[in-house]
Amino acid sequence: MVSVFKREALSSFIQSAPPGELSNVTTAIKTLTGDKTITTSLEPALRKYNEEQFTTVKLPGGSQPVLMSEYNRLEDGRYYDIESQSSWAFDHESQKASAVQSYVPESKHNDLITSLYKSLSTHASEHYPSNTIGIYPTSDDSTLAILTVSNKYSPSNFWNGRWRSSYTFSPSSSTLTGRISVDVHYYEDGNVRLLTSKALDLKISSGADAGHVVKAIAVAEKKYQQELNRGFAGLSEGAFKGLRRQLPVTRQKMEWEKVGGYRVGQDIGGGRFKS
Amino acid sequence: MSSDPFDSALDLLRRLPPAKTAHNVQLLCDLAPALSEELLESVDVPLTVKKCSKSNREFLCCDYNRDGDSWRSPWSNAFEPPLEDGVCPSERVRRMEVRANEGFDVYRELYFEGGISSVYFWDIDDGFAGCVLLKKSVSPTSKTSGSWDSIHVFESQDRARMSHYKLTSTVILNLGNETGVLGSMDLSGNMVRQVEQDMAVEDDNSHVMNIGRMVEDMELKMRNLLQEVYFGKAKDVVGDLRSIQALSEANREKQAHREVISSMSK
Repeated sequence: MVSVFKREALSSFIQSAPPGELSNVTTAIKTLTGDKTITTSLEPALRKYNEEQFTTVKLPGGSQPVLMSEYNRLEDGRYYDIESQSSWAFDHESQKASAVQSYVPESKHNDLITSLYKSLSTHASEHYPSNTIGIYPTSDDSTLAILTVSNKYSPSNFWNGRWRSSYTFSPSSSTLTGRISVDVHYYEDGNVRLLTSKALDLKISSGADAGHVVKAIAVAEKKYQQELNRGFAGLSEGAFKGLRRQLPVTRQKMEWEKVGGYRVGQDIGGGRFKS
Repeated sequence: MSSDPFDSALDLLRRLPPAKTAHNVQLLCDLAPALSEELLESVDVPLTVKKCSKSNREFLCCDYNRDGDSWRSPWSNAFEPPLEDGVCPSERVRRMEVRANEGFDVYRELYFEGGISSVYFWDIDDGFAGCVLLKKSVSPTSKTSGSWDSIHVFESQDRARMSHYKLTSTVILNLGNETGVLGSMDLSGNMVRQVEQDMAVEDDNSHVMNIGRMVEDMELKMRNLLQEVYFGKAKDVVGDLRSIQALSEANREKQAHREVISSMSK
C-alpha cells in the first residue's frame, strides 16, 4: 500500500517531467523506491500527464501520429482520432498504443470539423516542423477543442522541447479562447528549463468559417512567438545584466595581489587608480 | 540507467523544474530518509541569508558553515544563533579566510554592484578547503525578477612551492517575466563546471590570490555559458518547435541560396 504522501510526491514528479523524458522519470522513481510495480498506483498521474501534454503516438499500421487529450478520451479509457477514424488503447506508462479499431465519432459539427482540420493542418505544416493536431467535439457537442502540439527531442544533445496550443471554439457564440504553453529543457552539466503559459481570448466575428478561426489562431500564435522573443531579450538586457557584470566598470579583471594591503573597496578595483 | 537509489534521486533533480529543486530535495529526503544526508550535501539550492549580530552584516548559509542548527558568520567567526564550541577553522586557515572574505567583498562590489558574499575555509589533511558564495537578487521592473547564486567549492593540496587546486562551481540563475501580453515566462536553472589547476604558492597570501583568480575566471566562463544557454539555446529550441516564417517560404529561400552558391562555385 502506497501512502498518500508518497503517491502525491511521486505524482508531482510525473506531472513536471520534461518533454520526452517521462520514461526517464518513471525509471528513476522505480529505482528510488525499489518498487518496480509502483507505477501501477501512479496511473492517474501518468494519464493526466499524457492528456495535458498531448502525448503523441503512431498507431500500429498508421502513418500520421495522433495525440492524447481529455477531449478525445472515450468512456472506456480508449482514445479516438477523427482524421483516421480510429480508436485505440493506450498504455500510459510505456506510451504505446494497441488494439486499434475503426471509430466514427458523431457530432452535429462534422462538416465544420472537417474544414477546420483542413485549415489547421495547412497552417500547422507551415509553422510547426513537427506537428500533431486534433479537433474534437467536447462532451456536450456545443464547443470544439482545437489542439496543436509540436515536439522536438534531442536527448543526445541534452535538450528537448514542446509547444502546445489548445483552443475552445463555440460555433454558436463565436467565442475562441485558449492557451499556449512552451516547455524547453536543457540538461548538459546542469538543468535549465523554460516554462511559459499565455491565456488567449480571441475576437472572431459571428458566423466565422473555419478559415477565419484558423486565421485568428495563426495571428495570435505569431504574435505570441514574437512577444516571447522580446521576453528573452528583456530578461537578457534587464535582469541578467543587472545581476552580474561581465567585467568590472574598469573593463579589467580584479587585482588580487592588492588584497589585504588595501582597505576594502578602496583601489583593488582593476587598476582604477593606476597612473 | 543506474540501479542506485541515490543516482536516481540526482537524475530526477536533473530533470524536474530547477526552480523547484529545494522543494523536490525536501520531498526526496522524506521519501528516502536514508539518502537525505548525502542529498543535502551534494545538491546545491539557493543560499539563505542570516544576519551576524556581532558585525551587523548579512552572511550566506550553506552546509559548510553549519554546525547543528547554527551557522558561522565569516565576519565575526561567531555562530548564529550562538553556539558554544562550534566547529571553527584553525588559526592559520581562519587568517586566510578573513583575507579571502575581504577580497571577495571587493570582487562582489566590482562584479555584482550589490548582493552578499561569504567565504568559508576549513582544514583538511595535506591542505585546506573552502567555499566561496555569492548571491544577488534583482527586480528591474515590477513584472520581471532575477536571482543569481554562485557556490564555488574548492580543495587545495600543498605540494612543494605549488598547490593543486580542485574547483567545482555551481551557478543557480532564476529569471522570471510576467506581463499581460506575454503571460508568464520562467527561465530558471543551474549549471555546474569543474576545473583543476596547479599554481605557485609563496605564502598564504598566494592561496587567496590563486583562489580569487580561479573563481573569477570560472564565473566569467560560466556567465558566458549561461548567456548562451538561456538566451541562445533555449530561444533556438523555441524556434525549432515553431517557425515565425512560413516553412515553405524558408525552404524556397534556402533553395535559392543554394543555387547562388553553386552557380558561384562553377
